[in-house]
Amino acid sequence: MMISQTLGTCGERSNECEYLTLAFSPLSAPLRSRWRNNGLSADFLGDYVTTFLPGEGGMDAGSRQNEIKHAVTYIANELLENAMKYHERHIDVPIGIHLELAKDHITVSASNAAGAGQAQRYKTFVEHLLEGDPADMLARQVEESAKSSESTASCLGLLTMINEYGAQLGWRFEVHPVQSEMMTVTTSAILPLKRAPGASA
Amino acid sequence: MKNLNGESYQILVDDDNTTVLFKGALRLCGMDDYAPILKMLKETLVHPALPIVLDLRELDFLNSSGITMFSRFVIEARDHAGIDLQFLASASVSWHARSLKNLQRLMPALKVCLS
Repeated sequence: MMISQTLGTCGERSNECEYLTLAFSPLSAPLRSRWRNNGLSADFLGDYVTTFLPGEGGMDAGSRQNEIKHAVTYIANELLENAMKYHERHIDVPIGIHLELAKDHITVSASNAAGAGQAQRYKTFVEHLLEGDPADMLARQVEESAKSSESTASCLGLLTMINEYGAQLGWRFEVHPVQSEMMTVTTSAILPLKRAPGASA
Repeated sequence: MKNLNGESYQILVDDDNTTVLFKGALRLCGMDDYAPILKMLKETLVHPALPIVLDLRELDFLNSSGITMFSRFVIEARDHAGIDLQFLASASVSWHARSLKNLQRLMPALKVCLS
């Protein structure tokens, strides 16, 4: 029997801060045609956050703004690519990406529908990831992904978010309220901001 | 000069097959889509006497499948005797310094020139 479960650090969704949600109908275009939209959406989210980050105040503020913009773009792109790849085919449940901008962090999360088997495989991988040392795992994964099958590329994306962008990851596995044979899988990345957006640089 | 173009990227290889210039954003859908680029990169390994230079200074974005593609190439280069491989990177593109150090772990002799 499928049960709902949370792993890692998810944080609570808030409607009181700046946020943005995009949803995609998986049935309206095949994966390959919609792939370019992952990049467009990720670039849009990266650009969007810069409005709320201090951009003036010399080189440091400008380079920090660039770094956060790139981090949001990379994380959004990886999460969307994974959600698109692993979404259960032919199921009319939207694939979503959500961005939330709080005072001291940015959260990017993506959700997709998965059958019980796919959700369980992902959960097992997540449990393995939470038990290990992310730096060691990244070093191993870079070598292994170069030698092995396609699916390890997703692991590399998540490990890169943790190690290279300082993101905290969290996962929600929820039984779909209408299609009870499906799980909604949400992967969240919380990106800490060294200084609060809007604070003087 | 050979080139390989996509909607968001351009890759140029000079005539002696030793310098490869990347521009734009590489976010292809998995290793099958990266196969033609990897094949082109592997062709540079036929001249081990010359330095092989991968110029990434204008490559603004690379997804994790792209990181895997470069990892495969670096491992291939590492396993060839006498290969002198250099990556040119930009300090103003924030992913360059971070991601390229992982490639150096795969091949300690790899040179990364950050400008």
